Amino acid sequence: MNWWPHVVSLEFRKILVFRTEFWVTFLGQSLVQLVIARSLWTAIFEQQNVSEINGFTLPMLTLYYVIVPIGSRILTGENLGFLSREIYEGTFTRYLLYPLSWFQYKTLTYFTYSLFYAFQLMIFFVGYKFYLNGGMSLFEFGNLFLGIGLFLISSLTYLLISMAVELLSLWADNIWSLMVMLRFFSNFLGGALIPLAFFPKEAQVILSYTPFPNLISLPARTMMGLTSGQEIFQGLLVIGFWAVILALIVNLLWQRGQKKYTGVGI
Amino acid sequence: MRRYIRLYLYFLRFSFSKAMEFRLDFFFRFVMDCIYYVVNILFFKVIYLHTPVLAGWREDEIMIFVGTYILIDAINMTVFSTNLWWLPWLINKGDLDYYLIRPVRPLFFLSLREFSANSFMNLLIAGGFFIFSLSQYQGTYSVGDLFLFTILIINGSLLFYCIQTLTILPVFWTQSTRGFVDLFYTLGLAMERPHRIYKGIYKVLFTTLLPFALIASFPVKVFIDGPDLMTILHISAVTAAFFCLLNFVWTKGLKNYSSASS
Repeated sequence: MNWWPHVVSLEFRKILVFRTEFWVTFLGQSLVQLVIARSLWTAIFEQQNVSEINGFTLPMLTLYYVIVPIGSRILTGENLGFLSREIYEGTFTRYLLYPLSWFQYKTLTYFTYSLFYAFQLMIFFVGYKFYLNGGMSLFEFGNLFLGIGLFLISSLTYLLISMAVELLSLWADNIWSLMVMLRFFSNFLGGALIPLAFFPKEAQVILSYTPFPNLISLPARTMMGLTSGQEIFQGLLVIGFWAVILALIVNLLWQRGQKKYTGVGI
Repeated sequence: MRRYIRLYLYFLRFSFSKAMEFRLDFFFRFVMDCIYYVVNILFFKVIYLHTPVLAGWREDEIMIFVGTYILIDAINMTVFSTNLWWLPWLINKGDLDYYLIRPVRPLFFLSLREFSANSFMNLLIAGGFFIFSLSQYQGTYSVGDLFLFTILIINGSLLFYCIQTLTILPVFWTQSTRGFVDLFYTLGLAMERPHRIYKGIYKVLFTTLLPFALIASFPVKVFIDGPDLMTILHISAVTAAFFCLLNFVWTKGLKNYSSASS
């Protein structure tokens, strides 16, 4: 475990190598998604001439879309292809030789990205609250940290889903399209495109048994103070259940996949 | 010109035989694009559960809009995207040399050499949905309207290609692996929303400076509201400006390019 801080430090430095590109992309992505979503919902509210739809006012939706783009990035951590690329190129061999756990190393690198984005989300959220309300109450700070904590827990579940998909590259040559599919699913069914409260009731019930609503919607609404303790507890139970299932699948794929792997050099 | 057409036919033949080698990837990419289409259709279906009209368009009209932008996306995925994906690597590794010494315009070669055969299947599906959405349209239109619409869709694809390439070319200066292509994909969301939702500064932004709204939304506006000279002039002028800008940045980028020979 004494190598953990070195990995985290190295990953932080890697994130910031291309600083201009990193900050332009980060600010651009966050602001563009916010502007587009706000423009869309403003048009809907004006058309309907109402102040609230399905429990959301326009300022609440704006805050939701401040949180969601960065929250989605906390989930996805390091970019897609973080395992499959190495398997495809054969550089995966090093994890079979180095005296450290492949699983721990990958979790740590992934989680470093998530932590970095979590920090950015905190800054964005606090900045937005101060800009809008001139400050934050203790209750709001509590929700902020609870929401961030849920995002980080969700990111570990998402990591397991990603691993289960990426390890398929031990059998198939190219699986990046599967990762893109996963992102489409998690964004839409997780509530990143539209809050799940706007989905038909039947769809909401079905989704509540899947991990998706707990990946984005639950942490985002918790940060906004819209969830009860019971809802958070239920969400954690569902996500915990899926994490166990996924961990078993990842372990099975890893055990079987190693036998299929071939690579030359490191 | 004939030489370029013949060359492109060779690209097509090579791309199809290459795609058939990776059949599982072929299947995955096909399913991926289908899911993208379904998610986009469902997105507007959910929105229309809460409003009968969005930005002046009814549900049958918005479905034409969805059909248009997924068709443009499919055209670009099939014709350009795979090529553009590799561009940063070629620049950073110095492999651009191979393309600069050939007796063909490098940007033509680099943009079109790989026709994405797997996405071609999706182009057929996107085209099918586009035709279906037109069949559900409650308004009337003439053959002339359809012809103009087709021209504007092709123009939209060209504009999409210009903007995408312009977000990649900064790698000539930054030497990074992706340029601003992630930002491009996020900005692409602006293409997937009707232009009338943008007001004030955002309207100027998305119709002129970052003209994503011109790619699909304006062609649909011309189709539904009828031809309007100012709108068509606007689309043509912005596309021409972006095409010139692309060639300018490409030339400047090449001057900045260096490699220790391949």
